Amino acid sequence: MNLQINTWDSPWLNVKFLLGGGVVLLILLIGWLGPVFWDTEMAYTGSAPLNLPPMWSDGGTNDHPLGTESNGRDMLAQLIVGTPSSLKVGFIAAILGMLIGLALGSAAGYLGGWWDHIIRTISDSAITIPSLVVLIVIASFVQMTDTTTMALILALFAWPGPTRLIRAQVLTLRERGYVRMANLSGASAWEIMFVEMAPNMLPWLAASLTGGISAAILGATGLEALGLGPTRVPSLGLIINQATTNAALVRGMVWWWLPPILILMVIFIGFFLMTIGLDEIANPRLRRFKASKHERMPKKTAVYPVSIPLSSPDGEAVPLEVHDLHVHYFTPRGEIMATNGVTFSLRKGEILGLVGESGCGKTTVAMSILQVVQPPGRIVQGEIRVNGKDLNRVSEKALRDLRWRELALIPQGAMNALNPVTRIREQIGDAILAHESQGRTELEKRILQLLNDVGLPDRVISMYPHELSGGMKQRVCIAMAIALNPDVIIADEPTSALDVVVQRVVAQTLLEVKERLGVSMVMIGHDMGLLAQVVDRMAIMYAGHLVEVAPVASAYEKPLHPYTQLLIESIPSIKTRKPMKVTEGLTHDLRNPPPGCIFQYRCPFVEPRCREQRPSLVEIEQDHLVACWLY
Amino acid sequence: MDGLTKGYVLQRFLMFLLTIWLGSTLIFFIPRLAPGDPVSAMVNRISLDQGYVENAEQIIATWKARFGLDDPLWVQYIRYWRNIFSFDFGYSLARFPTQAWEIVGPALPWSVGLLSVATILSFFVGVTIGALMGWHQTPRWLQILLPSSLTFASIPYFMFGIVMIYVVSFQLGWLPSTGAYSRWVNPGWNWAFITDMVAHAILPVVSIVLTSMGGWALGMRGLMISVNNEDYFLLAQVKGLSPIRIFFRYGVRNAILPAITALAMGLGGLISGSILVEFIFAYPGTGYTLYESIITQDYTVTQAIANLIILITAGSVFLLDLLYPLIDPRITYGKNVG
Repeated sequence: MNLQINTWDSPWLNVKFLLGGGVVLLILLIGWLGPVFWDTEMAYTGSAPLNLPPMWSDGGTNDHPLGTESNGRDMLAQLIVGTPSSLKVGFIAAILGMLIGLALGSAAGYLGGWWDHIIRTISDSAITIPSLVVLIVIASFVQMTDTTTMALILALFAWPGPTRLIRAQVLTLRERGYVRMANLSGASAWEIMFVEMAPNMLPWLAASLTGGISAAILGATGLEALGLGPTRVPSLGLIINQATTNAALVRGMVWWWLPPILILMVIFIGFFLMTIGLDEIANPRLRRFKASKHERMPKKTAVYPVSIPLSSPDGEAVPLEVHDLHVHYFTPRGEIMATNGVTFSLRKGEILGLVGESGCGKTTVAMSILQVVQPPGRIVQGEIRVNGKDLNRVSEKALRDLRWRELALIPQGAMNALNPVTRIREQIGDAILAHESQGRTELEKRILQLLNDVGLPDRVISMYPHELSGGMKQRVCIAMAIALNPDVIIADEPTSALDVVVQRVVAQTLLEVKERLGVSMVMIGHDMGLLAQVVDRMAIMYAGHLVEVAPVASAYEKPLHPYTQLLIESIPSIKTRKPMKVTEGLTHDLRNPPPGCIFQYRCPFVEPRCREQRPSLVEIEQDHLVACWLY
Repeated sequence: MDGLTKGYVLQRFLMFLLTIWLGSTLIFFIPRLAPGDPVSAMVNRISLDQGYVENAEQIIATWKARFGLDDPLWVQYIRYWRNIFSFDFGYSLARFPTQAWEIVGPALPWSVGLLSVATILSFFVGVTIGALMGWHQTPRWLQILLPSSLTFASIPYFMFGIVMIYVVSFQLGWLPSTGAYSRWVNPGWNWAFITDMVAHAILPVVSIVLTSMGGWALGMRGLMISVNNEDYFLLAQVKGLSPIRIFFRYGVRNAILPAITALAMGLGGLISGSILVEFIFAYPGTGYTLYESIITQDYTVTQAIANLIILITAGSVFLLDLLYPLIDPRITYGKNVG
């Protein structure tokens, strides 16, 4: 049991963010503490000897540790004065831009309609204007005596980015449940914006701000380097300008041009690290990707107990066997046991329904069979045999070969299962061509035949997914799955997200396909009513365990496990209106399942034994297995 | 129907006009919002830099008269737009009697060449790196190597350019540091000129590519990771397709669409940065000419070149916009218009 709740688990403790922040703070310290230790007057008055090299090279003196330039100004003093002035410009401009962006972006996102249209159009076009061109033209006319003027001018170009970001964020957030709730409960628009939305946007805003600061510093330094910034006060860009115009490169005065560039590079790297760190904080997917290693199985093969496989009674070959499957999700908050010793087998030509409430692990079982468990999940133990081959242990190459020919998937087609940017022809065709070689005209004919088999017209072949209805997409997925006449098909909730009439049509198509091809199918779902009409056997899952496996008739007429009984009772019926049976969700922590039966907290018949020992799945009646101490 | 509908093209064309209008109007109004007028400000700036300008009053008066700066603002604004539309900005002030466009014209091919090569290179290299970084099946050694290529991502182009000039040109003497071609070669379609031109372009291109590709890479990585979680990506794996096909047809093909939008959005920044690169390398493109026009107080050339750069940027974005529906079949903008 690996239950680690880490108090140091805040996403803000991101290495890149902290490192970048540290670097920026360090640079800021130069500006704050520098004047205490060094006479900054020397940055303005050129009273020192000219062109002194730094102290460590020949001719350098301790009076001017970093040397002097051609006007006799002390380099160290110039850097101490110039660094904070460059940073200041960046901060002012970016914060101003952010404030404008906050006002415009939230107005656009929240008010919508014409406001949105106008603000979006203007910010979209403003973002493409090459800002430096306009800045250069402005700077050549407007005298920039101080850094504040420059910051104000830079702010002109600092708002479109934040505006776009905030608008997009407000649009996504306002659709979220809790914002809608606040809306319904009568909270004012401002309250919603600042109380409900702002905290969720914080990392995004911060990333946009750090990005904006470095963009503004870049703009300011660029102008200064061209000699168009304030010329009275030293700044890093101005030092670069004076160095390049005085041919410091040719004269080998590295100490003149290099230090300002190095400081700027450190500043930019600091802000860059902060920005990408904040990106990771804002976007959990990035974090998860970084933390995950994609492995099908641990390198070390686990030792597992040998037990009798549940082969079919007449001794026929079993197309799919799942044996003692354990899949764990390795999250920062502990190891979640999504499936905990699932064992079942699929007989030739049958449809096995795998049901259970959401979160019970049924989709994890499907993903394991298909060998596409998403990180941080991993199969830690067990066997998955398709036609006798253990998929957990075959090579990647062998796995790729047997995929789709022996094991296919019907995904939830109504959602996002089809590649949005390619035509149906290509999506069915590439599955065929990955395993067989075929001429173009023949392939075309074959795809058309497949589409007709599931009741789709010919024109679908050259359509894109977004041109199809949900039911049509689902049938395309079925056509795709039967393209290579596989032995086993996993159907992952093929009818959810469709309306009732289309559900019937799709279920009918599935049945026809099964009858015609004799394919074996595992059908995952939670609609007990619909499954009853399609499947041959039912496997009921609860909290990562199979609790009952039975032929569909006896599962519905004589459910043995208390959980199955609950599920069957919960099927609504029009004829007899009964009060809805309330079934709660999970009652225990999947990281730390209790000893004994996993259903003990919700079971109406719980006995002392249920609290101590976990019942295993045993055959109580002919072909009817249950894991319960009642029998 | 999908793709390039009349409505979509019209909408994008209006955006194109809006961008030009916004940019050019900013250039026109902001200097005039400042106290004084452009000419006085310019002369004042010179006197600040150089201490004293002879006959400053007289210069200001003649210039003001020539540009009609004493006219009401709206008259000036209309005249400004007439100039833009006819692309007639009058004579260059610094090199009278050359026309402004005669100075701007020759600079254009250099910039377009430099920038298109640099942009295409940095976009494709960056996108490839990002896509590989956001893919689970990328070989381990690449996953370690790729992030290090982002080290330069945050450094502004021109700073990197200065360091490169010092190291590659001055210390190692491998490549020329200034100009677009050497004086002794004869411009034209001859081998000597072409190799010389390429040698001069290497450092500017490399400094733009190395420092801008990181941005594309990071964006693409995020997009690729999102695609990794899509159902169709998973289905492609289950279909037993080859990893290469999954990577390109299911991963990159989908992730690159927002990346192209980002490219359109980032063009302005890229062009801004290249002005500084041209300045550092004294590359005779539009950016360098803009800089020259400003230090020589060439008001007309400044106006001409700034408007030209804005026009070209907006035009490139417009072209990318027109390209987009051809690669994303879902775009139907018909209903967005009006």
